[in-house]
Amino acid sequence: MATSNPSAFLLTVNGQIEGANFPEYDNLYCKYCFVHGHDWTSTSGLEEGITQITCKGSQSSRKLIWNFPLETTFKSTSPSGWPQLVVSVYGPDVFGNDVVRGYGATHIPFTPGPHARTIPMFVPESTWRLQKFTSWLLGRRPEYTDPKVVAQGEGREVTRVRSQGFVTVSFHIMTKDMKKLGYDTGPASPANTQSATSGWSTEEQPINM
Amino acid sequence: MAELHIIGHIVGASGFPQNSLFCKWGVHTGGAWRLLSGLKEGQTQVDIPQTGDVAYWSHPIDLHYATKGIQGWPKLHLQVWHQDSFGRCQLYGYGYCHVPSSPGHHRISCATWRPLGSWQEQLAQTFVGGGPQLRSPDLIYSGADRYRLHTEAMGTVDLELGVIMRHFDKYGVES
Repeated sequence: MATSNPSAFLLTVNGQIEGANFPEYDNLYCKYCFVHGHDWTSTSGLEEGITQITCKGSQSSRKLIWNFPLETTFKSTSPSGWPQLVVSVYGPDVFGNDVVRGYGATHIPFTPGPHARTIPMFVPESTWRLQKFTSWLLGRRPEYTDPKVVAQGEGREVTRVRSQGFVTVSFHIMTKDMKKLGYDTGPASPANTQSATSGWSTEEQPINM
Repeated sequence: MAELHIIGHIVGASGFPQNSLFCKWGVHTGGAWRLLSGLKEGQTQVDIPQTGDVAYWSHPIDLHYATKGIQGWPKLHLQVWHQDSFGRCQLYGYGYCHVPSSPGHHRISCATWRPLGSWQEQLAQTFVGGGPQLRSPDLIYSGADRYRLHTEAMGTVDLELGVIMRHFDKYGVES
């Protein structure tokens, strides 16, 4: 199995979509998918899925918990197009229609070890007040036809969005043969790595930002 | 040839007078660098935060460079703009930061500044908006001719950049 001159490297992602923090909404579920470049293929595990519907617990923390497992392995010849996890959160509105509550994306970390990520979620926003009112009334909010658009940088210049809520995800990363191919990804992460956004919540904003 | 991958995103901005912000960004390199894949400039969406005053963009950056020398290391330059409800855009800040030169994950806070005009222009700016802008964006990341500018401090842009380096150690570069 071991080759002395590998041509590709492997990336294994074990993790979970832990939950979300949406102060204004409840009874939410989440769809996720992995988006990657042309050099990448998925060798095992699911590339997309849907979580259960969850509601806030009676505890005062008011968190939404999914605890949804992610187990996927990717193979690639180049780090270009590194996979991203795209999550979209949906929930019912006042009239019972299923509307989108947020889109978000984050790169899969590339250093081996445990990582925690807090992904800020946003929804597209109508520019006309009348359109906002009719979309609230009819339950047809502006949404992306393909949520994978969130993982790209092009074409965002003309969109207006409203950011609301966060989704927390944790990863355990392993790679194989990256060093043999000459890639240096830096030191493996220490045990308690927190991303820059993990201390942010919609309840309190840190003052030293 | 050594290769450099820059994989990360522009997280968001805070500390600006108003929300509804977007960011124009670009990466500038020296002559020895060649972009193999990825977009080296772009513009984020306009974000209006529902709660709090931090605007989140999460704009992905995925660049692959090949280089023959370490001079002209990539620099990321930013312009933060404000868009109001009528669609008019006003400059809120310029900033730049070097892409980190050691592999791994990095969290970077980039401070921004805005050119300051005469007192008449500042008075007009409080009522009508607008304000002086740089004629050429090169001044954001170069030091030449900066002594002519008088600027004021604006907010901060947060970035999470990951750097993967390949074959730099073969050429004896330590990082």
